[in-house]
Amino acid sequence: MFNIKQITPWKTALFILMLLPMLLGLGYGLLYSFGVIGLLNTGFTTEHWSDVLLNFSFWKSLLFSFSIGLISVGISLVMALWMVVNWHLDLRKGKLSTLIYLPLAFPATVVGFFIFQSFSKAGFWSRFLYQIGIISDIEDFPSVVNDAYGIGIILASSFIITPFLSLILKGIFENEHVTKFQHIAKNLGASQRQVLVKITLPILLQKAKTSLLLFLIFVIGSYEIPLLLGRQNPKMITVAIVDKAQRFNLNDIPQAYAMAILYVLFLLFLFFGFQRLAKLKTKAYA
Amino acid sequence: MKNLLMLFAFSLLFISCQSSSETKSLNLDDYTWEDILAEGQAQDMTMMMWKGDPKINAYMQKYIKPKLLKKHNINLTIVDGQGNYIVQMLMAELQASASTSEIDLIWINGETFYQLRQIDALFGPWTSKLPNADKIDFENPFIGKDFQQAIDGYEMPWGNVQMTLIYNQDKIRQPPQTRAELLSFVKEHPGKFTWDNHFTGLTFMKALLIDIAGGADVLKGEFNENLYAKYSDELWVYLNQLKPYLWRQGEVFPENVAQMHQLFANGELLFTMSINDAEVDNKVEEGLFQKSSRAYVPEFGSIQNSHYLGISKLSQRKLTAMVVVNELISEENQLEKMKPSVWGDGTVLQVSKLDSVFQKKFNSIAQRNYAPHREDIQEKALPELAPEYMIHLAEDFKKNLID
Amino acid sequence: MRKHIGQSIVGFIILFPLVFLLILSFGKQWFYPHILPNIWQTSQWESLFSPSFQLTKSLGLSLLLSISVGLVSTITAFYFSKKIAYSYSKTTWLSLAYVPYLLSPIIFAVLIHFYFLKIGLSGSLFGVIIAQFLICFPFGIIICSTFWTSQIQSLENLSSTLGGSTTQTLKRVLLPLAKSTLLLCFFQCFLISWFEYGLTHFIGAGKVKTLTVSVFAYVNEANPFLAALAGFLLILPSVLLLLVNKRLIFKTSKKLTDYE
Repeated sequence: MFNIKQITPWKTALFILMLLPMLLGLGYGLLYSFGVIGLLNTGFTTEHWSDVLLNFSFWKSLLFSFSIGLISVGISLVMALWMVVNWHLDLRKGKLSTLIYLPLAFPATVVGFFIFQSFSKAGFWSRFLYQIGIISDIEDFPSVVNDAYGIGIILASSFIITPFLSLILKGIFENEHVTKFQHIAKNLGASQRQVLVKITLPILLQKAKTSLLLFLIFVIGSYEIPLLLGRQNPKMITVAIVDKAQRFNLNDIPQAYAMAILYVLFLLFLFFGFQRLAKLKTKAYA
Repeated sequence: MKNLLMLFAFSLLFISCQSSSETKSLNLDDYTWEDILAEGQAQDMTMMMWKGDPKINAYMQKYIKPKLLKKHNINLTIVDGQGNYIVQMLMAELQASASTSEIDLIWINGETFYQLRQIDALFGPWTSKLPNADKIDFENPFIGKDFQQAIDGYEMPWGNVQMTLIYNQDKIRQPPQTRAELLSFVKEHPGKFTWDNHFTGLTFMKALLIDIAGGADVLKGEFNENLYAKYSDELWVYLNQLKPYLWRQGEVFPENVAQMHQLFANGELLFTMSINDAEVDNKVEEGLFQKSSRAYVPEFGSIQNSHYLGISKLSQRKLTAMVVVNELISEENQLEKMKPSVWGDGTVLQVSKLDSVFQKKFNSIAQRNYAPHREDIQEKALPELAPEYMIHLAEDFKKNLID
Repeated sequence: MRKHIGQSIVGFIILFPLVFLLILSFGKQWFYPHILPNIWQTSQWESLFSPSFQLTKSLGLSLLLSISVGLVSTITAFYFSKKIAYSYSKTTWLSLAYVPYLLSPIIFAVLIHFYFLKIGLSGSLFGVIIAQFLICFPFGIIICSTFWTSQIQSLENLSSTLGGSTTQTLKRVLLPLAKSTLLLCFFQCFLISWFEYGLTHFIGAGKVKTLTVSVFAYVNEANPFLAALAGFLLILPSVLLLLVNKRLIFKTSKKLTDYE
């Protein structure tokens, strides 16, 4: 089955560089979360795992991260699609084509900082609205950052994703010669709307599927943005894990590892599950 | 696949049976102070401290660090960290049987000291070896005991502060003095009062807890589970009464005291707090707070405590750390940091034991303009409670108010 | 008309952060409700020119770190991507290469921290380089793997049939053709490292003070002005690189998703 001859040196080296660190990390996390190792641990126990699995807050954070991811990617998708469908010529040449690249240069840290300074109650927009008389007190400005709905996080994530996604969609648009298909459809009598719904969108979305998934995972896994713009309740999953490992009760550390492993499993399931589903679907059409 | 699994299993085995590393343990009996001074010279050293205050950072970076370099050729690196972060870090090093610690000197007190002793991450006892330690006022219960614990030579007192509430005199004539007055205040001014989700906020809650218990003597000594349960229940009831009138309806609390100061400076809050009684002077002088800011201690009192310096057990620079600490507690450096324009941190030295020149200097330090004088608030000083109180308060605060 | 307004709004959204950060970096005091800082200073920017200023040191450190990580990741990824591309289990390896990206870098750091401590790499620049490499390298493989088409393979074979050694094939045939892929790979790995905060802060134990670590340090000190300055320094090189390499990004975003 697995031929000994196939274990070439490069495969071993690749395994060591690419997969071993992760396996080692997961191994350590497993041992720690089951109480086998760790300074304050007393031996094998499943109590930490049951604490995490039965505790509402873990699932809440995971669900929160997932929802924020979906919403952010959704908003970015709408905006990116709108730009590509309507302005694809300007995205090729001209000012917009250069401008759209700029946000790719912004790291999550800076975007988070910027959104905070712009949208907090003492931020730029609050001052602006005060100056033009729309609000009369700092209290009147709505809570957009560190709020219960993660609006600040969504804003920041969308800011990062939209340009990137636009570029990907633009690439697909050109490579799949969408304009040609649009012409053909129009000649055959299709209306503007039909062209959009039956030709343009399916082609773009079909090819962009994996990218969308990757962006979703990006938002779920982001750390700096929720650190700057989120709050204690609800908490994004990455912040929840790091907090448990660093800030709170020492006895909670095994829980942090259990949470980390669950998080990894969730993402693996999400990614590979999606790939499986996509393959099945395309096979159906074959 | 089989080979992968074998490799994986092997690595798990490797982690489970770690051999303990052999760090030469330092026996201070073999050293005189001259030895320590000689060996501690000309080294690099890392100190971990809270870096949330620009004035304290400036004192360390611009005054202490060059001095250490010039006088002892010691290169000091400062990294940010406090409380649980330090404990987690040292714990991780112990678990990995690291041969050295990334941090040598740490700025700690209270519950951090307690947890570090629990996991045996502190080096000691060492404080009696330092010549400048003779001038420290160990008899003073606010200095000699850290959160009701004997310090036993495992940490050296560095400074002493008392908590105050800071408010804007232009907007508030009579700041609240009792719990009842505070409740009516927040009802009258919703959204303008809060505390932070960290050390300062917890210190404030401790003062409230003592008030509810009827005085510092009730909760004196070791942690009492029953007393805690009884009085903390009342505390949560009281705080939940305040909650809807707090900033952001009490659903969010500032993550740290620096953020709270910003909110106060912006006018979003009418109150802020500081565990350092002189901080209001610092901030007004910096230009962050308006000149109308004042600090005070309410009638129910506020916590006075000292902060300390400890040395990590795995540090390979223990002697250097001791040299640095000796400098930090010297009269010159204690005097400098007590100036309101520098830090305003109280001294741990017994001024009456110093020579007359320094006595005069200490007694004629620039007066505070915006903060109350220490003598005036001394009678309202409450001692720190046993560390378990703080640990439980931190957890229960999350449970009862945030979740 | 509508298009013009729409595009102007987009342009504003994109340029406003840059302008805002720049203005904020010159501020000294920004009391509410002033729109612009009410007190200005240039001393922060001037301090940049003195080598002892923490931010200048961070800038140098970040550059050194990210260039190292970029170079090592690119070279290793180029080598291994070829091996993968020509092997039978190509798709398996490529799928697995996505996995380090799936873990958030900070979670990855939390899990392997123990090993770094044990080997003594915690708190060191070298440790951070290795940790970042472990994240960038698989990503590089995905980027470089698109280079090795059957066309390239036939060119390689052709070259060796005509008597060229492996080094000659590499130097004269492959590298010139691979230029854009290599540049892109370096660029992406550089950016991942340049932007990274969580992992750097955790593994570096706060001692490896990159620009991103500085931004957070200033935020925690409630100094938005220096934080803005650090943020602006973070953006600057990437903006310059991007404007120069516009074409490269566009080509690869397509390649990344093509693999399905």
